[in-house]
Amino acid sequence: MPDMRFAPPNPLRIADRASGLNAVSVRSYNERLVLSLLLQSKDITRLEIGERTGLSAQTVSVIVRSLEQEGLIAKGEAQRGRVGPPTVPISLNPEGAYSVGISVGHRQVEVVLVDFVGSIRSHTVLPFSAAQDTNHPQFMTAIAKAIADLPRHLHSRIAGIGLALPGDEAELELTPKAARERFDALQEEVEREIGYPVYVQNDITAAAGGESMFGVAKHLSDYLFFYLGARLHSRLILNHQIYNTTAAVSFDVGILRLEQEIRKNGNSPSELWERRADWPSFGDAEIAWQRELLEQMKSSIAALKPFVPVASVVLSSYAPQAVCKAICRELEQAMPGISAIAGNIERSPKAVGAAGLPFSSRFMVE
Amino acid sequence: MRSILCYGDSNTHGQVPGGTPLDRYGLAERWPGVMARELGVGWHVIEEGLSGRTTVRDDPIEGAHKNGRTYLRPCLQSHAVLDLVIIMLGTNDLKARFNQPASEVAMAMGCLVYDIKELKPGPGGSVPEIMIVSPPPMLDDIKEWRSIFAGAPEKSRQLALEFEIIADSLEVHFFDAGSVVTCDPLDGFHINAPAHVSLGRALAREVEAIGWPDER
Repeated sequence: MPDMRFAPPNPLRIADRASGLNAVSVRSYNERLVLSLLLQSKDITRLEIGERTGLSAQTVSVIVRSLEQEGLIAKGEAQRGRVGPPTVPISLNPEGAYSVGISVGHRQVEVVLVDFVGSIRSHTVLPFSAAQDTNHPQFMTAIAKAIADLPRHLHSRIAGIGLALPGDEAELELTPKAARERFDALQEEVEREIGYPVYVQNDITAAAGGESMFGVAKHLSDYLFFYLGARLHSRLILNHQIYNTTAAVSFDVGILRLEQEIRKNGNSPSELWERRADWPSFGDAEIAWQRELLEQMKSSIAALKPFVPVASVVLSSYAPQAVCKAICRELEQAMPGISAIAGNIERSPKAVGAAGLPFSSRFMVE
Repeated sequence: MRSILCYGDSNTHGQVPGGTPLDRYGLAERWPGVMARELGVGWHVIEEGLSGRTTVRDDPIEGAHKNGRTYLRPCLQSHAVLDLVIIMLGTNDLKARFNQPASEVAMAMGCLVYDIKELKPGPGGSVPEIMIVSPPPMLDDIKEWRSIFAGAPEKSRQLALEFEIIADSLEVHFFDAGSVVTCDPLDGFHINAPAHVSLGRALAREVEAIGWPDER
């Protein structure tokens, strides 16, 4: 019997030198472990990767080298401290991978192309038009355009397409033509016509994932996530895992509620949906709405308290960041000990979160 | 204090291109010396370069002592405790008398890795960090060495990939010296003084990048 130590070498990790992403099948558990850490933290050293994964320095070295050759990560400049050898931070290469994210909302469909660190490279907003029966052809064109916006030689670096779809009944009712059957067909159709793998997720969960992967929640392992859309939604994140459920309820204290208040006062709410940097003052209507919204957020946090002592709250929205920051300030004042942070994915948080899906599915451990 | 063993051939010995094994760059000019200077205090760099050293082969002409495998064990035990072993070999295996493809030279590198892992000359009887360095490819014009090294330049260009495959499958550190230096045209397979500086610096960065926990 031959000495199996000297059987032909089995280089699982030698990346395909022809550039482009390695096939899914060869991405080992350890490689995903390392990529998960890199997607969760900025600038980490090989020593820290070893300490946090339990992998040996040599194993980390092999994985990091292969990821580097694949173009997924980049070595930073050596940092010289006062004691000990200098450290070399490693981070994701923004150009290493791309992804398309799509969100289907109650007023519009958004399509984004993001790079590996979540910067938006292409952005299309597709309004639902009352005059048309369907915006489906435009929908497909918008996805194709997001991909075409990327230079051709980088197409092999597209990890896939993430699709964020509304889930709760109240939200489905608001969304034109939304039906679970239609959504089920959508994944297959996009996969067939566009030719990239499509990953589907609930839109609120996707938005929370976006803040965890690219936004303010990158360093938070536990937090309560609020999404302020037409309605107010929430998700709980523990140990970087988002608890996803179809049974989550949403509350009618969102932007739709504000719209009603504004109309009640006889004013025009149109600026609410224009996605400007800031809203004009809506006066009493806004004050009344904000009070209602804060009450709901406070009651959600209070309800959670006996079970999970969550100290961080993230509020994500396409509403202007100034508005979110004001709400966070109010919340912190009302609830001492709570740190409330406004999400920093201002443009299309759901679509950007959806774009994170192919990354997490292909590069991270479950 | 951490110890690094630099196990190599004439290019670790510091042989001057176009010279003989006795024409040697100074201690501070040779890449282990450059690397030691770059790493600074806290590191002990041990030079073990022998001209003509092969990976695992007794040389029928130059002698059995050129066999890198038989000398490795006493060498590791002499210099233990070792934190890191850097091996840069392979060029001499490409001599016509051995008639070996690059992949076999890589397999032989694997042997040396196994021997180190078996001997465990690291701290507390552990396996030390091991770094395979593929030598810079030979130039096409190797002057009067063309018959001794017949066919070798072409094979030498395949060493980096073959070595990396071995390093990957055995999970050890790897560095391609050809990514930072080229051989000197004087003989086509030795590196000159500026190349020793570049290689020493690059390897110091590689050593640091491994990441070393604070010494207890």
